[in-house]
Amino acid sequence: MFRVALKASTSLHNAARQCLKAQAGAVSAVRYSHGKEETDEEFDNRYVKYFDRPDIDHWEIRKAMNDITAEDLVPEPRIIIAALKACRRLNDYSLAVRYLEAVQWKCGSKKSKIWPWILQEIKPTLSELGILTPEEMGYDKPELALKNVYLM
Amino acid sequence: MSSQLFRVGLWVAKVPQRALSTSPVCATSVVLDQKLRDEIYPKIGNREVVGFGINGYASYVDRCEFPCPAIRFKESTPEILKLREKEKGDWKTLSLDDKKALYRASFCQTYSEINAPTGEWKFILAVILFAFAGSGWLALYMRKFVYPPPVRTLNREWQEHTLQRMLDQNQGAIMGVSSKWDYEKQEWKQ
Repeated sequence: MFRVALKASTSLHNAARQCLKAQAGAVSAVRYSHGKEETDEEFDNRYVKYFDRPDIDHWEIRKAMNDITAEDLVPEPRIIIAALKACRRLNDYSLAVRYLEAVQWKCGSKKSKIWPWILQEIKPTLSELGILTPEEMGYDKPELALKNVYLM
Repeated sequence: MSSQLFRVGLWVAKVPQRALSTSPVCATSVVLDQKLRDEIYPKIGNREVVGFGINGYASYVDRCEFPCPAIRFKESTPEILKLREKEKGDWKTLSLDDKKALYRASFCQTYSEINAPTGEWKFILAVILFAFAGSGWLALYMRKFVYPPPVRTLNREWQEHTLQRMLDQNQGAIMGVSSKWDYEKQEWKQ
């Protein structure tokens, strides 16, 4: 009986020790978690590096843009700048404007606070590449109307 | 490493291995093998396939959360191809009309057009009000032509007499009606 109790207490002791170890090292792989979590910095760097690839092509840039728009965040200006430069390399002007519209949409209800700052950060790149913002193109208001498919 | 990565991406995307371009600055759109080309191109005509889109199919759809669909919106006509040649140069030389034409060639609606109010609420409200009116008419018809006349016990005078009878019979003397009636003063208990 005592041996059983002793075994139980040692296993409990070991478990407690491992839990304490887990708390101490948050970066190392913990038993119950999936893996190392990416920091914001690493996330941004990953996307900037992807867009900065000199041999990026249409498929990849669109995949990256769709993916980053699907994330629950407004991209950092340096990611946007890298994306615009990639559009320039691919000679696709409309994609650049489309992505700016997507960023504006990602700002959501806080657009009046976030977008002016982003615009200020990316303005040098916009003037350098000759990209107009959606407002300058007149696309901040609807230009054309589409007929409702259910009423055709 | 990156080529392996996009091979994996392609496998996931159900698009078979693309031919890799040999030129260093690779500005090609997606290169498809003949089998896929036969499957896709009759449906999309002359449009350029440019990406993965939402689910890997070569379709066009305007969604706010997916800015880049899989194909360009308009077919590649000679005018558009001329614009694309111009696009390869400095974008500052493009006029506003050129830029707008390029945008509309690749995309159907702008974001503000996608999110513009449709006025559908007016139609829905009208239908709801029509439904209310219709049911009102139905209720009137039922009352006039379908229901039998109301029961004779349902008027005020009969109910007053019933109440008086209940008090006379001392019904509910403990917790009910008569317990609330003051028999001496002949009025309701305050």
